[in-house]
Amino acid sequence: MIENKSLDSRLRNVIIYTIVILLALICLLPLWNIVAISFSSSAAVTAQRVGLFPVQFTLAAYEKIMGDAQFRRSFGISVTRVVLALVINIILIVLMAYPLAKSSREFKGRNIYMNLLVFAMLFNGGMIPTYLVVKQLNLLNSIWSLILPGAVPIFSVILVMNFFVGVPKSLEEAAMIDGATPFQILFRVYVPVSKPSLATVALFSIVGSWNDFYSGLIYITKIKNYPVMTYIQSLSVNIEELLKAGMNSSSLESVTEVSNQNLNAAKIVVVVIPLLLIYPLLQRYLITGIVMGSVKE
Amino acid sequence: MNKRNHTPRRKFRSKLTYHIMMMPGMVFLLIFSYIPMAGIIMAFQNYIPAKGLLHSKFVGLKHFKYMLTLPDITQVVVNTVTIALGKILLGTIMAIAFAILLNEIRIKVLKKWIQTIVYLPHFLSWVVLAAVIVNMFNLDGSVNLIITSLGLEKINFLGSNKWFQPLLVTTDVWKEFGYNSIVYLAAITSIDPGLHEAAAIDGAAWRKRIWHITLPGMLPIILLMAAMSLTSILSAGFDQIYNLYTPMVYQSGDVLDTYVYRIGLIGRQYSFATAVGLLKSFIGMVLMLSANGFSKKFTDRKIF
Amino acid sequence: MRKDYLFKRIAITLSAVMILSLAGCSGNNAKSNADSSTAKNDGKTAGVTQEAQTADGPFGAYPEEITYTLGRQTIQNPKLPDGDTYENNAYTRYVKDRLNAVAVDAFEANGEDYDRQVSLAIASEDLPDIMKIGSKDILDELVENDMVEDLTDVYNTYASDYLKEIYDSYDGRSLSTATYDEKIMALPGTNVDSAPNEVWVRQDWLDKLGLKVDEDGNGMITVDELKNIAETFMEKDPGSSKNPVGISLAYWLSSNDYGGSTYCATGIANALGAYPKLWLKNTDGSVYYGSNTEENKKTLGVLADWFKEGILDPQFGTRTWDDITALLTNGQTGITFGVWHIPDWLLNNVRAMDKNATFSTYVIEGENGKANVFHNNASSGYIVVRKGYKHPELAVKISNLFYDELANTKTLEKDYPEVAKYQADGVDGSTRPFNVEINKYTSLLDDYSDIKKGVDGEIAIEDARTLESRNVIQNVKRYLENTATDDVTDWSKYHSRMKGIELIDKLTRENSFNWVEPVFWGTTETMKSNWANLQKLEEETFIKIVTGSVPLNDFDKYVKDWNDQGGSQIISEIEATIK
Repeated sequence: MIENKSLDSRLRNVIIYTIVILLALICLLPLWNIVAISFSSSAAVTAQRVGLFPVQFTLAAYEKIMGDAQFRRSFGISVTRVVLALVINIILIVLMAYPLAKSSREFKGRNIYMNLLVFAMLFNGGMIPTYLVVKQLNLLNSIWSLILPGAVPIFSVILVMNFFVGVPKSLEEAAMIDGATPFQILFRVYVPVSKPSLATVALFSIVGSWNDFYSGLIYITKIKNYPVMTYIQSLSVNIEELLKAGMNSSSLESVTEVSNQNLNAAKIVVVVIPLLLIYPLLQRYLITGIVMGSVKE
Repeated sequence: MNKRNHTPRRKFRSKLTYHIMMMPGMVFLLIFSYIPMAGIIMAFQNYIPAKGLLHSKFVGLKHFKYMLTLPDITQVVVNTVTIALGKILLGTIMAIAFAILLNEIRIKVLKKWIQTIVYLPHFLSWVVLAAVIVNMFNLDGSVNLIITSLGLEKINFLGSNKWFQPLLVTTDVWKEFGYNSIVYLAAITSIDPGLHEAAAIDGAAWRKRIWHITLPGMLPIILLMAAMSLTSILSAGFDQIYNLYTPMVYQSGDVLDTYVYRIGLIGRQYSFATAVGLLKSFIGMVLMLSANGFSKKFTDRKIF
Repeated sequence: MRKDYLFKRIAITLSAVMILSLAGCSGNNAKSNADSSTAKNDGKTAGVTQEAQTADGPFGAYPEEITYTLGRQTIQNPKLPDGDTYENNAYTRYVKDRLNAVAVDAFEANGEDYDRQVSLAIASEDLPDIMKIGSKDILDELVENDMVEDLTDVYNTYASDYLKEIYDSYDGRSLSTATYDEKIMALPGTNVDSAPNEVWVRQDWLDKLGLKVDEDGNGMITVDELKNIAETFMEKDPGSSKNPVGISLAYWLSSNDYGGSTYCATGIANALGAYPKLWLKNTDGSVYYGSNTEENKKTLGVLADWFKEGILDPQFGTRTWDDITALLTNGQTGITFGVWHIPDWLLNNVRAMDKNATFSTYVIEGENGKANVFHNNASSGYIVVRKGYKHPELAVKISNLFYDELANTKTLEKDYPEVAKYQADGVDGSTRPFNVEINKYTSLLDDYSDIKKGVDGEIAIEDARTLESRNVIQNVKRYLENTATDDVTDWSKYHSRMKGIELIDKLTRENSFNWVEPVFWGTTETMKSNWANLQKLEEETFIKIVTGSVPLNDFDKYVKDWNDQGGSQIISEIEATIK
């Protein structure tokens, strides 16, 4: 009986490990391909000859990126933006999720706020009106135009609210008996026990602001102030469109020089690296079940 | 100290605190979400940037009516919903399953690496991935090499109306399942390990524990995520389709967003785009409210 | 209570913001902080036409410094030297030096992103003093809503003689696109004809196989000859690719501009008398759509046959731009179509991969023994001046500087070494204040004549009119000295000029062109609502016909559907417009 069971669980483990590792490999391949492309010669890439290993190995693309002052500048802008946005997002998420996690009996008006939030998540006025507001506030071309319009990530608020609802009432009651104010309860009780969910929304915030190129295209009117993803996006070239727009031959020459797929690949590799570094950092909080552990203490 | 706790004044103060906590976020939403919503008026106008919202001509429901009279609208909407539903269903199942499986991995280093790797594809844009996918799935691509080596007929995935939708769904699920599983992993970690321990002592089989403890524990988050994704039922993924489709597969791959995009290319039709967006939001809202009601009725738990 | 009060105040403040921002404050309270100019000299009143350095002439400097804000359409790789920007570079400093006017960029963006910035600027009623706009639609909108200055007077007064000559060389086809009720509302960028859609064939492969093409040497090959080459290449696989493809075409099949016709079958269609995607006029004055003619049906028939016979790429319809480039670069196909300059930025990849690669170029001969071609839209982009800007003449003066003075000066190195260095280093022309070209209609062949003479030693290199020509002469000479060179640029310039433009020159000299003039380039009301759908119908049907999934005769049904779904309406709108 006991032997059977452990055999069973061993077999199960073999299957699980195989599936998970296979899935990971499938996810790795395209990025691997992109890395290989970034180290290959431009002609080999154009000829689509690069598979999993570089063809005509060269570091030219990386040298070019390192020499691109605008790329470095944009990279810095993105880092600043991610940090500022993260701080603002997390503060607002936590502040809003806590009262919303109360029942409408405990917090009158809770449902009104909630509906307002859901409404704002679903409906938007579109690009032009938002642009006009940002412009009226004199935020155009400033890093705040990239941060403030997305200061409240509604989805994350609802997500954290759902986790807060799951926090045992006993914890809060105990704190209340000790005379803690709602702010104290939030930051001393809820926040510490919600690290996995907060790490999750922090990750969403970081990834979201790092990857967002679109607001840069709209609110930033000087290329030198572009965040890095906007900069990369602005470098991507659709030759067919340029041709139809009547671009002249010398401009086409300049443009095709940087639309090299190997250069693009190298840029992608460089901008993905920070996200690779961030994840393991947050993972500490993502993996262990802290919530229940702290209840017992 | 203890006694003051339950005085009415104290309660009033904590309620006031709740409002204060909501305030900063609400101000941001007011400025950057609600005020711009005035732009929804565009959907009922012939909006011309030079005339502005105040002076553009009102045309009532013209754009909505026009949308319904587009010759291919039925086909386009069916494509959109099919593709979107496919992605939502398969994507959700895949992300949950992966989260559960990953949670079983006990070798910490391996777990970390795998988790990092599977969330990588999320960061690659479709422009980049489209090139990789086209290379893999065209007639001379590696996938067809495998197919022919199995003695089967080559499949023109990118040019076949039979295969294009499955291709879209699969590649999207592949790109996003790792990233989407993050939130489910967080949900799993917040389940009381004590429950598992008790079950293990009871000798419950692994499958039973997943079914009776893990999944129910994840249910609130699963419901939330499902309800959220339902709101995108009319957005089948513009970037992906735009970068992969050709007129050969318009029949199966042309969706609302790509169609509207092509219409918008001619003469910058903001009003029409706004009208379509409004309709999408409205349907999203209806679906989300129904999901909430459904959840309340069957699980006695509201999503929001 | 207090909370409510606070909330109310916030609400009031914010709704004020909202009204302000959304009303788009019609007054446009002269926000253009830029023209803080103290120049009392309005300029309009003077009328000095002589091209002297007087304050008011075409090149007249402002007595006191003025600033002007610009909308700048940038490109991805301007090659600006370190420290220089679009806002402050040798060209803008040149304007400052010559006119005492300083540029301030209101916004910069690449390509399509720029069009979005223009729309946003229009929506917020805060236009830069001078900007480029990409399309005629936007110009229409600006003119209709009285947002741009009438430039008629300043053009007449300030345009240099040479600038006027340039526009005149288009017989009014260019300036007329910016003229509304006899008023010039913008300076159009010009668009030189770049016809024809040339066939580029791997000459090294022809040599290897001993295949003779164009034996009468008139630069024209027939459709059958083309087919024959493709068949031979398929059969013999001279690129040793093991997977040869005869002819690969982009799925959109044709373009209404020769620049855009790369990888297109435009040349084949033209030879068969079809002009797809263009609006043309019958002799009786009625307008028709070039895709819907019997001739175009015939073109599709030819392509469908080729597809069946395997000469046309079996993956036609799903091949992307990059895929086709890869086929060429890999030596899988040795035939392609495109405008004269594709060796410079596209075929150079082929040479980079294969040191033996050389190309020859031909045009496909029509049944009439001529090369059938159409005129491009003569305008490409417009320069407009904000309504109410104090110095509308500045737009004309800057144009004089760049399209007259810089184009004609012989002493640039001495006068403006910095600008000369830009040109020598290949800094992109988009760094000039206006990212448009204003060139004579004949400029392409004029430059080529310089290059040819320079290469043949008939003139000294320094005597070539433009710096670019001087550079090209050197490239070509180097290539001719060593045709096995590793320098791809030398190879490219040789091919684009001595093959690509040479063909145009030859066909022009031998009077082999049969020109067709499209009659309409704009967007009509019905096009706004129906064009996307008509385009879908067209592209879907044509691909299906070529790949044989529907019979050729479905073309007639397509034409009927096309007309029923708004096409006839569009045609009558166009007829009304051009009458």
